[in-house]
Amino acid sequence: MSRVIFLDGSSLPDREIIGGKAWSVARMRSLGLRVPPAFVIPVDECRRYHDAGRKFDDALWNDVLDGVRAIEQATGRRLGDAGSPLLVSVRSGAAVSMPGMMDTVLNLGITDEVEAGLAQQTGDTKYARETHARFCHQFGDIVLKADLDPYVAGPTADEVRALVLDDVGESIPDDPYTQLRAAISAVFDSWESARARSYRKHWGISEIGGTAVTVQAMVFGNLGDGSGTGVLFTRNPLNGDPTPYGEWLPGGQGDDVVGGTHAVLQLDALLETMPAVHTELLSWANTLEQENREVQDVEFTVEQGRLYLLQTRTAKRSPDAAVRIAVDLVNEGLITEDMAVQRVTAEQVDTVLLPHISAETAASAKVLASGEPACPGVACGIGVVDPDETELRAHAGEDIVLVRPTTSPNDVHGMIASVAVVTDLGGSTSHAAVVTRALGRPSVVGVGDGAAMSMAGKLLTVDGGAGKVYEGRLPLIATEVDEHPTLRTLSAWASERCTINVVHEFSGSVVDLDADRSAVDAETGKIDVEKLTALLTGAEAAKGGVLNSPEGAQAITASGIKTVVAPRRLPIQLRLIQQ
Amino acid sequence: MSDLDFLALHGLAVRKHGGPATVASLLGADEAAVGIALEGAVANGYAAGAKGIFMVAPAGQAYLAEQYPVVFADARGDEAFVGSYERFEKVNVDLLTLMTDWQTMPAGGGRISNDHSDADYDQSIIDRLGSLHERAERVIGKAADAQPRVGRYLERLEEAYDKVLSGDRDYVSGVRVDSYHTVWFELHEDLLRMLGRTRQE
Repeated sequence: MSRVIFLDGSSLPDREIIGGKAWSVARMRSLGLRVPPAFVIPVDECRRYHDAGRKFDDALWNDVLDGVRAIEQATGRRLGDAGSPLLVSVRSGAAVSMPGMMDTVLNLGITDEVEAGLAQQTGDTKYARETHARFCHQFGDIVLKADLDPYVAGPTADEVRALVLDDVGESIPDDPYTQLRAAISAVFDSWESARARSYRKHWGISEIGGTAVTVQAMVFGNLGDGSGTGVLFTRNPLNGDPTPYGEWLPGGQGDDVVGGTHAVLQLDALLETMPAVHTELLSWANTLEQENREVQDVEFTVEQGRLYLLQTRTAKRSPDAAVRIAVDLVNEGLITEDMAVQRVTAEQVDTVLLPHISAETAASAKVLASGEPACPGVACGIGVVDPDETELRAHAGEDIVLVRPTTSPNDVHGMIASVAVVTDLGGSTSHAAVVTRALGRPSVVGVGDGAAMSMAGKLLTVDGGAGKVYEGRLPLIATEVDEHPTLRTLSAWASERCTINVVHEFSGSVVDLDADRSAVDAETGKIDVEKLTALLTGAEAAKGGVLNSPEGAQAITASGIKTVVAPRRLPIQLRLIQQ
Repeated sequence: MSDLDFLALHGLAVRKHGGPATVASLLGADEAAVGIALEGAVANGYAAGAKGIFMVAPAGQAYLAEQYPVVFADARGDEAFVGSYERFEKVNVDLLTLMTDWQTMPAGGGRISNDHSDADYDQSIIDRLGSLHERAERVIGKAADAQPRVGRYLERLEEAYDKVLSGDRDYVSGVRVDSYHTVWFELHEDLLRMLGRTRQE
């Protein structure tokens, strides 16, 4: 019996045995969906390799060669054949992902001759050259452990090879089978890397396990007409609308869509050029959504008219979409009400309910500055340049918008005290953006030299999500749960399931935790659950912002208090249900 | 003014305000000695302090600005150190991208706030932080060969990274703790002050 498993969907081995990546491939195959052919070397081979003193025995290698032949048969391509080359990816796949494990090596199998062959078949010399150079960089970095700068397009494979040789004194093999053997060994070795070992020790993960290795054919979205790559969301991830939403890049390959480096088309473009593929894609995506009972984010490639699914996972979604999708999935019979109230978080509800500026108000308001949206949210206050003045005036009760040319650690206390932050310079990944997001302060960055300074002393409304600063105090619209079409439904389900009474008003005695802040560390803002529990124990009812937090929910449950008073019931109810 | 008197004032300026323990930790110096130095700075009018928390006074900022070119003349003339600073700026771009990816995630053409409900997503970022930390070790290690005090930041980054690995998510980009970003931001500020460079953002 072979020691490698060809993932044709005829069986679905345990995730613990073959790792998450291979399991996902096997599962899609078993649902009758097409994925690039692959085989997996299971976890126990990793242990055997290490027990043998990091040795890869010939019997296993023969089984790996059989696995390669099976992929060759399925694709009609051959490893190292310039006329019809097979390229593969090699990935680690432990049951639990952990730091220090080897990353993926893509495009393994490319050599000088294969590069020439690929250039001819794709008609794209640049693509072939970059794929080769990128492979050499990845192989040098990950397998040979060369100290290389992050990859940037430009250098040729020969130039990268020279850098690697110079650093580690070892050459990147030009034979695809030698490449493959070295890459598989590197995956096994990474199980014993210092970082992976310390992580396992820390988390008490058994040393007995190991990592599986998945070897999968690469498919090509750049083989002329009828090829391309894209992503599909089974529902709109920004507003939750139950119509598939996606992006399609004809002739695109690999990360071209996900990497955001190319201008992409909407999915309708695929419907126009390849209607049958479009229909198949929607049908497969629907199968995955039905099976997983969750909105899916599906990566796919079309190679000469043939659709391949590369990966599916639960889609990331905005808070608005999360609420809508949970309620819709119940109405469609995919999940239960119990599951829906587990899926929407208190933070998502709080975000949906944040006050916002109406489109009409925004259209007639005077825009003082525009920049990059760094942290969403709307706030209003007086513009102040000096962080010390910001802190002083904020502590005296004023709402202050900190307006700075740039920010340094010296400004952080002012940012903490402010209601919003605006900076002249920097983009959405500047220090200022990182700090304001960590604080949840609405912020707009990069509004232009001198602009922030010109807003000092003015009353400002900052819309961090839109990247706009308006003059004056704009009226805000506050959404309420009862007025919201889907939150209202979710709230009814949550009320039925929450055993603690969460109310807007209470006539008995109420412990006020906004007044008594003794359970909150003044410097770090951390909440002490034990202290909070003690404050709640024996009380009839309690109120205070601190209760709308994970620690608050723990303390409510531990204290046995029966009633919580809150301006908004749903977030606290969800926290209590999700304990 | 002694070396430590100057460095204590410099360390305080990097952080804006803090007590002897905080400044001593930043410098890798003895807490009691830093406390005495900060009291001295108050006596000179270079710092103000109450309840063990100090901050740099305007006269102190002026004094630092005047002294930096003299005190850090060696560092500014050292090609190896300046070179490692320039490498640091490159890694800084990747660090800030990583922090952004930690705080937000892509969703259908836009980005949304990361609510940390997807353990695999978070793990992939923490894994990237591990690789970035290895690059940081090389770059900051080289800077510390020229200016040993800079090595203290590497220890603090290591401490933050360990906290992250042990599951304390606040130590990635939290503002109120010595998170990876907090320490990195201070290192950036320290290097800019040492080299007399202007912040680009």
